[in-house]
Amino acid sequence: MASSPLRFRRFSTRLLVIVLGLLAAALLSTYLLVTKANQANAIAHIESRLAGDVKVFWASIDFRKRFFVEGAKVVSRDWPIRTLYLQPQLDLKTLRTTMESYAARLNAPVFATFDVDGAMLATTNDSLTNESCGPFRHLIRTADENGWEQNSAFGYLEGKLNVMIVVPLYAPEPNIIGWFGIAFPIDDRFARDLKETTQTEVTFTSGLTEDTKRVLATTLPPELARQVADQAPAELKPDGQAMVTNLGRERYVTLYAPLELLAEDPARITLQRSLETELAPARRLEQTMLFILIAALIAASLIAVAVARGVSQPLQHLADYTKLVAAGDYTRRIELPREDEIGQLATAFNHMTAGLAERDRVRDLLGKVVSPEIATQLLQSDLKLGGEEREVTILFSDLRNFTGMSERMAPTEVLTLLNRYLDRMSTIIEKHGGVIDKYIGDAIMALFGAPVALPDAAARALAAARDMADSLHDMNRELEAEGKPPLVFGIGINTARVVAGNMGSHTRLNYTVIGDGVNLASRLEAMTKEPAHRTSIIVSEATARAVGEEDKLRSLGHVTVKGKTEAVKVFAVDIQPRPWPTRPLARPPTQAPYVS
Amino acid sequence: MRSRLLFALLVLTAATRVAAAPATLTATTKDTKGTAVTDAVVSLIPLDTAAPPPAESTGEIAQQTQEFLPYVTVVQAGTTVAFPNRDTVQHHVYSLSKAKKFELPLYNPGQKESLVFAATGLVTLGCNIHDWMLAYLLVVPTPYFAKTDGQGRAVVAAPAGRYRVEVWHPRMSAALAQEITLSAGETPARDFSLTLKPDRRIRRGGANKSGGYR
Repeated sequence: MASSPLRFRRFSTRLLVIVLGLLAAALLSTYLLVTKANQANAIAHIESRLAGDVKVFWASIDFRKRFFVEGAKVVSRDWPIRTLYLQPQLDLKTLRTTMESYAARLNAPVFATFDVDGAMLATTNDSLTNESCGPFRHLIRTADENGWEQNSAFGYLEGKLNVMIVVPLYAPEPNIIGWFGIAFPIDDRFARDLKETTQTEVTFTSGLTEDTKRVLATTLPPELARQVADQAPAELKPDGQAMVTNLGRERYVTLYAPLELLAEDPARITLQRSLETELAPARRLEQTMLFILIAALIAASLIAVAVARGVSQPLQHLADYTKLVAAGDYTRRIELPREDEIGQLATAFNHMTAGLAERDRVRDLLGKVVSPEIATQLLQSDLKLGGEEREVTILFSDLRNFTGMSERMAPTEVLTLLNRYLDRMSTIIEKHGGVIDKYIGDAIMALFGAPVALPDAAARALAAARDMADSLHDMNRELEAEGKPPLVFGIGINTARVVAGNMGSHTRLNYTVIGDGVNLASRLEAMTKEPAHRTSIIVSEATARAVGEEDKLRSLGHVTVKGKTEAVKVFAVDIQPRPWPTRPLARPPTQAPYVS
Repeated sequence: MRSRLLFALLVLTAATRVAAAPATLTATTKDTKGTAVTDAVVSLIPLDTAAPPPAESTGEIAQQTQEFLPYVTVVQAGTTVAFPNRDTVQHHVYSLSKAKKFELPLYNPGQKESLVFAATGLVTLGCNIHDWMLAYLLVVPTPYFAKTDGQGRAVVAAPAGRYRVEVWHPRMSAALAQEITLSAGETPARDFSLTLKPDRRIRRGGANKSGGYR
């Protein structure tokens, strides 16, 4: 799932990278989209405005043309004209002065009169010759051919861009006796007037057949107008072409529209608006966006680190604690008072550790209640009832006078004394590899060779019995010093094939051995009571043979055990002579009960 | 002797009368679409003999309801034409045509001015005040002429002889000319197809009510 670049040692780094990466990608792409959209919108907006501005230009031209046409119509039927024409010879000087009057009336920059063929008769502009009035002639010819009442076009007069208008002289309509021509220039003043209406930069440039594209009129400073002229595209559709150009250092949206001229390549009108100005409010917004973007990224990283820390620290804590628990310390509990999943994990961890501690204690306890070997056997055996037949050496021991003694002592004292005795004896038995099967009051039943098989089980049992006798002797010396009566016990040992296994019910069972051999061991132990045998340890023939001390032990003859048909040979084990207790065993002590 | 002279005179008169029996040319004018053309002038200009001088007649172009009546007038060169003002307002008749340049400065209703038109040619008349007033006066060098009627027909009577037939209409760029020979007592008919320019007369009351906006 995670590719190598995303494998970090620390969760917080990973979270940080992922969150920042996603956030940065989203925010940056949004920012880029917004800036692109803003720019595209601004350009589209300006383009539509420029398209409208071109219409304004045409409308203003049309308006001015119409004004002049209608004015010329009025003055063409004026009496001075007709009167001059009535005279046999047309007085050109007077005609020219009449033109001056008319030009003044109409505010027409150029006013001229032409004959029916288009030859120039008189004009208010002294520098105009018949030759330079070619455009007027062109208009007159076309109007005449088509029977138009007026004609107009853009054209050059003495190299300057003008709008030229011709209107027929009627006498009366529809009979034409001559033509009036009016021209007004497209110059810087016109451009400035258009700029005032449209709020765009206006430049008129000449067509492309000339070597240098001339600037005809402009609202811009000369260098910039020059730039505009140079950037004019070669081909233009009638509606013009809009593009983003550089003017000086600023970007402008520029519309180049063609101006059809008489008998020339079309000139161009250029309308421009600053893109930067249009974008200014958007730019402010973008800056704010950028600021928010950066702030968001910083905030996101801080929050991501904090969140990650909030997760990784407790988890690290948990990991440390888990290591301790794994090492065996079940006492640790972790403190994470949180409501979320990590808190739940901590609670579960604590429960688990408590469970482990409990299990450990149970195990320990089991090992104490039954011997560790039996505990292991029980745990491993799936706790099935039943067992197996094997040769086991069974050792029974029992205290002779304990019940009588306990009558004279406080119950707690009794338990303490008993535990002291049992502890000593059990330690010895276990030291020799024996397994305490059970305690029956003050009696001990021990197994040698089960559940763990021992090759020298009988020898171990015998050695244990001897050591137990010695230990009892030592304990009695201590008791005497304490002023307590001595203890006397008897031990019976038998080696036989018995059934060893779990006995009881499904809910309550015991690992023990069952068989005649067990009963015999118990009987042998009971036999030690008889003073005639003068021993506290009696072993069976099987045990003696197993130990190999048949001839070393004192034979006690054969005994018949209840329930068995054959008599069993038994032996006594003599301990090194030790002073027997002087008082009779049955006589209760005369001293007061011991106070512990 | 006196009876011989009388007889000779009679014979001469009779001969003359026989020689001067008029032919009648019926001209029918149509335009290129086949519509009859009204107010076309058909004139017969004699080629062999000189045209007789004009009779003591006067033409008349009146001003009435701010229009010239009639629209087209034909007179032989040398005729006097009167321009009575039968209107309720003043008029200033003028013409800048080469055939005759004149003006009759503002004159009142009831007044009448007359002019002799000696040169042949077309005289286009207008009024300085009323731009729409238009009339044509065609001065022809012959007494044999007629205007076509509503059906486009004109009947011109002339003595036998060779003639140049000229058909003219205000909307023609140039007159249509043909040669024809009339024999005494004949009544030939001729059809003429005229190529007319579009009608460009001003429509009266043509000012745009909404001030020039479409």
